[in-house]
Amino acid sequence: MNEVRLDFLKELANIGTGHATTALSQMLGGRLFQLVVPDAQMLPFREAADYMGGLEQTVVGIFVVISGDVAGHMACVYPLNSAYALIRLLTGEETPEIDELGRSALQELGNIMVTSFLNALSKMTDLLLAPSVPGLAVDMAGAVWESILAGAEVAGEVTVIRTRFSAEGEAIEGHIIFLPNEEDFGKIARRCGLEGL
Amino acid sequence: MSEIFVNMGEISSAKDHGILTTVGLGSCVGVTLYDDRAKVGVMGHIFLPRSRPNDQGAPPGKYADTGIPAMIAEAIRLGASKIRLQAKLAGGANLFPNLNMKSLSIGQQNVEAVKELLSKHGIPIVGQDVAGNHGRKMRFFVENGLVSVTAIGREPVEI
Repeated sequence: MNEVRLDFLKELANIGTGHATTALSQMLGGRLFQLVVPDAQMLPFREAADYMGGLEQTVVGIFVVISGDVAGHMACVYPLNSAYALIRLLTGEETPEIDELGRSALQELGNIMVTSFLNALSKMTDLLLAPSVPGLAVDMAGAVWESILAGAEVAGEVTVIRTRFSAEGEAIEGHIIFLPNEEDFGKIARRCGLEGL
Repeated sequence: MSEIFVNMGEISSAKDHGILTTVGLGSCVGVTLYDDRAKVGVMGHIFLPRSRPNDQGAPPGKYADTGIPAMIAEAIRLGASKIRLQAKLAGGANLFPNLNMKSLSIGQQNVEAVKELLSKHGIPIVGQDVAGNHGRKMRFFVENGLVSVTAIGREPVEI
């Protein structure tokens, strides 16, 4: 039962992230992205803190609230080096720090990736998943991650779907994280013909 | 000197010496309780203000309303006197201010809940570095009660 649920989550992640990286690839002039096998887990709260790893490392986090037929939260998290590379590819500018232009470029990129991810799920399930305006933070991984979990007000278990991606010829990698609301997750599963997940 | 890392939702303690550290406080609030005479220190890493019926098995330190009493009990267990306890706070930031999901951010709600509970128990707050939009790391030196707060691109603050 749990196995079926996790497989289903991985499949969702594959489809969603596939669309999201295709959108990213189009923004970056056809650069190819590689998806690493998605990781789907139902984590007890106690283990959730360690899920990100490297809690003191600086990362860029983009956070979105999902509303509509399915409520939930999504986040994209990039290591700082990848964020710089993405800014350079998007704006053509080399910056020593993440300035306003860089922030808005990353925010836009997060927006497009999240929207593509959710659109793919919407099409598959005929359920509305509407993203909010994205929030962006450049900070310690631990602070970004716990703010995301607190924003989602996670209770006993956290359903996390994470896909890592990397770009060909560029040191770009990142995570796309989907935190569906527990009750609404069942709706997605039912629309896909899976009962009682 | 031993350093104990306090994860989200956890409570840890030390007596006489040692460092209690919590890394990556965003909207969470790091709380320390200290009895200067007994040299007892307790640190909590509070995640949300109030416990909820759908989260029965949660560790007490996850929520302010269960965490503060649990921290006080832990301090007393190690020989602290409740009337001598003093508190310090760090965190309660809002990393995604433009999302504005609620009129009061979760960070602010956490800080308010912690302050309310401490005041209910008559524990004074003798230092704090809260709110803003940045993450923090908090280190608590149990031998003297000092707390140092660091953040990316900022000068360390001693509270």
